[in-house]
Amino acid sequence: MQKIIRWVTMVLIVIVALAPILPQFVWSFSHRWLFPSLLPSEWSIEPWEYVLSPSSRVGEGFANSLSIAVVVSVLSILVGLPAARALALHQFRGKVVIEWLLMVPIIVPGIVATMGIHQVFIRLHLTDSFIGVCLVHLIPCIPYMVLVMSSVFANYGTELEDTARTLGAGPFAVFRFVTLPGIFSGLLVATMFTFLISWGQYITTLLIGGGTIITLPMVLFPFISGTNYSNAAAISLVFVAPAVLVLILTSRQLGRESAVMGGFGKL
Amino acid sequence: MTHVILRDLTRRFGGVTAVDRLNLEIKSGELVAFLGPSGCGKTTTLRMMTGLLLPTSGDVLFDNKSMVTVPTEKRGAVMVFQKHLLFPTMTIGQNVGFGLRMQGVHKREIERRVDEMLELVKLPGFAPRKAHELSGGQQQRVALARALVVHPKVLLLDEPLANLDANLRLEMRELIRSIQRELSITTVFVTHDQEEAVMLADRIALMFDGLLQQYAQPQDFYQRPSSVRVAHFFRNDNLLSGTRRGAEVETPLGTLQIDPSRMQQPDGKVLVTVRPEDVQLVPNPAEGNCVEAKVLLQVYMGTHTQVQLDLAGHTWMVHSPAHFQAQVGQTITVQLPASSIWLLPTS
Amino acid sequence: MRWLSLMEKLRAPLMVLPAVALVVLLFFGGLVVGFSQSLGYFPAIGSFDLTLRYYGDVLTDNTFFESLWQTFRLALLSTVMSSVLAIALALVLRNTFKGSRFFTFMFQLSIPIPHLVAAAGIVLLVSQSGILARGAYALGLIDAPRNFPVMVFDRPGTAIQLTYLWKEVPFIGIVVLAILQGVGPQYEEIARTLGANAWQRFRYVLLPLILPGVLSTSIIVFAYVFASYEIPLLLGVRHPTTLPVLAFQSYQDPDLSLRPQAMAMSIILTLIAIVLLIVYKRLARYAVNS
Repeated sequence: MQKIIRWVTMVLIVIVALAPILPQFVWSFSHRWLFPSLLPSEWSIEPWEYVLSPSSRVGEGFANSLSIAVVVSVLSILVGLPAARALALHQFRGKVVIEWLLMVPIIVPGIVATMGIHQVFIRLHLTDSFIGVCLVHLIPCIPYMVLVMSSVFANYGTELEDTARTLGAGPFAVFRFVTLPGIFSGLLVATMFTFLISWGQYITTLLIGGGTIITLPMVLFPFISGTNYSNAAAISLVFVAPAVLVLILTSRQLGRESAVMGGFGKL
Repeated sequence: MTHVILRDLTRRFGGVTAVDRLNLEIKSGELVAFLGPSGCGKTTTLRMMTGLLLPTSGDVLFDNKSMVTVPTEKRGAVMVFQKHLLFPTMTIGQNVGFGLRMQGVHKREIERRVDEMLELVKLPGFAPRKAHELSGGQQQRVALARALVVHPKVLLLDEPLANLDANLRLEMRELIRSIQRELSITTVFVTHDQEEAVMLADRIALMFDGLLQQYAQPQDFYQRPSSVRVAHFFRNDNLLSGTRRGAEVETPLGTLQIDPSRMQQPDGKVLVTVRPEDVQLVPNPAEGNCVEAKVLLQVYMGTHTQVQLDLAGHTWMVHSPAHFQAQVGQTITVQLPASSIWLLPTS
Repeated sequence: MRWLSLMEKLRAPLMVLPAVALVVLLFFGGLVVGFSQSLGYFPAIGSFDLTLRYYGDVLTDNTFFESLWQTFRLALLSTVMSSVLAIALALVLRNTFKGSRFFTFMFQLSIPIPHLVAAAGIVLLVSQSGILARGAYALGLIDAPRNFPVMVFDRPGTAIQLTYLWKEVPFIGIVVLAILQGVGPQYEEIARTLGANAWQRFRYVLLPLILPGVLSTSIIVFAYVFASYEIPLLLGVRHPTTLPVLAFQSYQDPDLSLRPQAMAMSIILTLIAIVLLIVYKRLARYAVNS
């Protein structure tokens, strides 16, 4: 009985997981696909030609999305990793306040902050700029990095590092050979989160980028409510590809490492 | 008060047989220890008794009723684990009262019986505290109280003392023993520590590799081990090969007399053993099972001196009085009393 | 020596400083600017006087309350449904069985997929000429697209809910799964030997253990849905739309004088979100502990 429930559930999981994605493959190769045909009556690679043409701006959007997400992820690591470590392993005055400050952007809607920061950036001439968009993406990314990594650090502890130090390892060697391998899978998951958060941003990019910085979500957006399903599907697939790649790279860590996800239980 | 029978109980995991045709009878109110090294199948047996694990074949009977189809929660076989002792989300009182709450017992009645139980395990007034505020030993006692409060048919303890330090362990042993006697609950407890098994159990079931080796009273494991392996597990490696003929055993060191009550092995090749504490060091060759031995090593142990001897090429361990003095390499005389000699099968 | 002990003392604060500085400047800085603008402080249009007028404007507008209700309803429903589904699926997935790694991967599949792509996929699926409608036609259940139930641009926001469910169930689910795997089976086994049946084991043993994780993640989900813009804009009705859509539309209006009102609306939205989060946390705790 339990087995039947399990297998029905599993089949449903697969169907539901794929249902919104697989039809997009078919759409992206269709030319005419009218109701009620279950398959396109005319196939074509036109949507993909459109995606590859400069006029679609998909290439430009892809390059911008990717470079912004990479810059934001790297900055989040540089800024978030030390903070996460300090919060997990050190005791200092004001720690509770700091923890609270860093978590607030995750649970308080960022709408006011986004609009407010827009006003400030106008004055600082950071609107319509690459760096301005990166900065606004950092708002949700840093807290996620700190949240996940502080629970990873707390779980990892300092015993192994201390042992390495007594064995004569300098700070760099300790980080390179002990700390980094120990936290690596957690860091991978945290980086996946920051990458994907930045990758999926729409309204913040639109507001701060002011239409000068074109990212993939902005290219895709008008097609979703439009009527050209084929082009929507093709762009959508371009948008999805790196994200799924990231999941494949990190899926092992995601399900197995409870310390990584455990961080979400501590909000 | 439940009479337990395990009949041909077998459990295989893939190709590995964890428990192999185990037959065992536990009298009601008895305290039995499942003893053996880790991986010998003792915990697997315990889990089959609770119903958390289905046997591959065989049966578990409580008071002559088959339990195999009875789900764990209706079986009344309560288990205490060695870790993950207490539910971390509940107070001590809620932990102890858990089983009663599951039965739908009235709140006030639960409170009364929880207090009673906490009194019994010497933790009165601990009900409102949280699990993490308690020490390991206290948590262990709460886990015990939580099991006892439901009046289990059978109490199963899985290495309950493994995570405690030496002093606490002694204290807990006494507590478990006295409570078990007082309530006379049929109890099985798993351990890899032979000393603990000897101190606590009415009877011990010693298991190796899924097979029951010997099921007997504690003293029998010292005086009448069933095999070399059993003797070794109880720290007796003194062996001498010989051939039994009637009431005598021929050995390279001469002929030894054996006690009529200790002649379980048939005539033929046997191994002679005497426990280290039963070997006598005698100043002069006297009559009766005296043999020559060379001193290899002696270690002062405080209460006694442990002497390592060479007996015709076999290394023997002997506990001599603390003041024993000898030169290494010196030849001395030892007596193997007939009433202490035990014969073991050669294989 | 003194220098060393000073370094020791300053180390942790220095480690958190860059992160805190960025978050405070960007998030809380933005909050302060936004808040002052909602009070009428807007130098760019030459307005310096502090006033509660814009809050008054917002709070006397019927559209605002309609949108508030729509926003609240969508966020609450998707959060509750996602949490319940996520717990149920995590309970099935936590056992290791043949193929469980594959199914866990499939379960996580939608986590990295951007909301916009999910929205596009859901539209292709449930619109009146979508895959489901075609399937229904092939099975003879409907004879024209207009007979298929409206799920996009509908007032209940079916497509919106489906998009969120598809995205958020795995998110809550993997957190629950991680907790369950960390907890192991022993607590349940103890409960079982003490006589707890399947429901009691879930209710009294597992639920309290996974609750903190479910609470935190569902709060993240609620906050996200409550303030999200693009999904309700793309898949929802124009009237009533959701508050973030309303606020961003006013904000992006070429008429700059609408901005303080947009800010006031956003501030109210934020405050309501905070209050709801507190209430939600209290309620959930109470429900489980009682």
